[in-house]
Amino acid sequence: MANRKHPASVHSRLLSYLLAPLLLLLVAGVAVDHHVIVSPIHSAFDHSLSRAALAIVARIHPTPDGQAQVALPQHPPPPLRAMAGEHFFYRVSLPDGQTIAGVPDLPLAPDSQSADGFSYTNIHYRGEPVRLASYRTNETGSPITVTVAETPLRRDRAVHRLDVAFLINDTIQMAAVLVIALIGIRIALRPLQRLSRQIAGRPPLALSQLSVEQVPSEVLPVVESLNTLLGRVRDSVLSQQHFLANAAHQLRTPLTGLKAQLEVLNRDTAGTPLQERIGLLQGGVDRLAHTANQLLTLARAEPSVHRASHFTSIELPRLIGEVIDSSLDRALAHGIDLGADSQAAQVTGVYWLLHELLINLIDNAIRHTPAGGNITLRCGIEDGRAFLEVDDNGSGIPLAERAKVRERFYRGAGSTGDGCGLGLAIVDEVARVHRAQLSIHDGRSGQGTRMRIDFPDAG
Amino acid sequence: MRILLIEDDSLVSDAITRGLVGSGYVVDAVPDAESVAARLADTHYDLAIVDLGLPGEDGLSLVRRLRRSGSSLPLLIVTARDGLDDRINALDLGADDYLVKPFALPELAARCRALIRRATAAAANEIVVGGLRIDLAGRRALNVAGEVLELTRREWSILECLAHHSGRVVSKDRLTQAITGWSEDISGNAIEVHVSRLRSKLGGSATVRGIRGLGYRLEDG
Repeated sequence: MANRKHPASVHSRLLSYLLAPLLLLLVAGVAVDHHVIVSPIHSAFDHSLSRAALAIVARIHPTPDGQAQVALPQHPPPPLRAMAGEHFFYRVSLPDGQTIAGVPDLPLAPDSQSADGFSYTNIHYRGEPVRLASYRTNETGSPITVTVAETPLRRDRAVHRLDVAFLINDTIQMAAVLVIALIGIRIALRPLQRLSRQIAGRPPLALSQLSVEQVPSEVLPVVESLNTLLGRVRDSVLSQQHFLANAAHQLRTPLTGLKAQLEVLNRDTAGTPLQERIGLLQGGVDRLAHTANQLLTLARAEPSVHRASHFTSIELPRLIGEVIDSSLDRALAHGIDLGADSQAAQVTGVYWLLHELLINLIDNAIRHTPAGGNITLRCGIEDGRAFLEVDDNGSGIPLAERAKVRERFYRGAGSTGDGCGLGLAIVDEVARVHRAQLSIHDGRSGQGTRMRIDFPDAG
Repeated sequence: MRILLIEDDSLVSDAITRGLVGSGYVVDAVPDAESVAARLADTHYDLAIVDLGLPGEDGLSLVRRLRRSGSSLPLLIVTARDGLDDRINALDLGADDYLVKPFALPELAARCRALIRRATAAAANEIVVGGLRIDLAGRRALNVAGEVLELTRREWSILECLAHHSGRVVSKDRLTQAITGWSEDISGNAIEVHVSRLRSKLGGSATVRGIRGLGYRLEDG
């Protein structure tokens, strides 16, 4: 299931596999961009530095005695002006090292013999990194070297700004790629989600094949294996049902014969001492028949036996009516008033199983209720969930025993001989088939027991 | 009253025969479906009891064959199979009732009595419950002494509805529907009033038992 919260989901794994390479790509991209822009920016600023050198050259005038003289105005022209925090230095020197103007200790850039006469270098000057350009020329009549230097504040800032711009740009691109990838993953995973919805939306015990339509080829083997498995389960369920039908027949037919023969014998021996022993035999056979019936019911209540087609929509008031109809004589024989208090409610379930569940709850209530007591079957809707209740005003089940009574073959301290201890196990099993919950409470009258079945939310 | 029993298990067959003979019926037992045709050809039966798990042709197939041949013989199925599908199948094919093994002989006898009574009543157009005779054609009810009961139309409708389902619980809603032909607004209380008047008129012939929160049931005296 493609659950995003699940740590091992395909979704998050694809995402984590994508995220790391994308981040690496981002770093590499910004580095390449930085490298690509740095040299044009540097040449642009070098060019501007060279303009400053040329501007100084333009102000060199030879004196009448052949000496060069530099006349710089009080306010230097723009190329020579330094920005705030920035320093600008210059030096006009002769080939013999003599300084005509500017700061005498400014070093010269080594002569690179370039065609335009400029050579550049990076040095540390007065504790600051500076970019230095030397211009060697004969324009003024004699060889002269003009050296200019500036702290690289502006070019650093330009490079920095561009770096930030590239970073933002690349990040936006990566984020876009990520979002597109996420959308792509989601779209690509849609067949998986459809498959999981198909599985989740099936009735609880459906064993029919899954549809292979629209299943991507990567998932097809999974679906096919599932279908093979479902087929095998269905086969084994069918053979189990067949086995149970056979077992039922093989057990019930001789039991019927024994029961009926003993009844006839009982009648034929009326008034003889044999009657007492026949009565004991009858009790034994009845118990055997009851146990066999309950065992078969329990086996057939196993969730795996039920096909989706067994589940139908059931009106609980109608079910209660029919259960009372078939249990009334037994209740009356025990002197118990059996009644109903039904509100409209509907569940999806296996009719005969719910019928069996109520019969077992009533049998249980009859066993624990003395003559003159009453048993009430209730149904309705509470908090949007349908419920069934069998409420008696009998002896009740002690708190300590309530957990144990659901166990198979458990018989409470006060149990009489006719129960086999499977009744509540059947009720529990049937509840499980319906994803319903069995709970045991005190009777509404203050005494006795109230057995309650809460069905899951409608749907 | 003559009953044809089709059951292959001799233990069961013998016991049912003895039991029903003891209840005053004449019983002929055959062990398979193939022998049924010959029996039906020369004897009139009031009821057939059919076991579903027969050797050779099974009970369901026999029921289908009998109904296809136009027989209206009441059919009671006895079977060890109690699945809902089996039950619906048998009733759909034309069986009249269905009893799951193991059963008690008195219950079998009661079912036989009810089926035969139903068939006879359909022929005579009357229903007998305990000492009460309900003449459907004449729209009147006679008590044990043979006296015609003085019933209002609503009381008659209630009795008729209960008699059609005698021995079964009939819901109040259903009774209300049965008498609303004469009045639009009948409350549950009104039904109670009519039922209690009906009860006193029935005397000891038959009993109308009230079932708390559900409805009523017509029972033998």
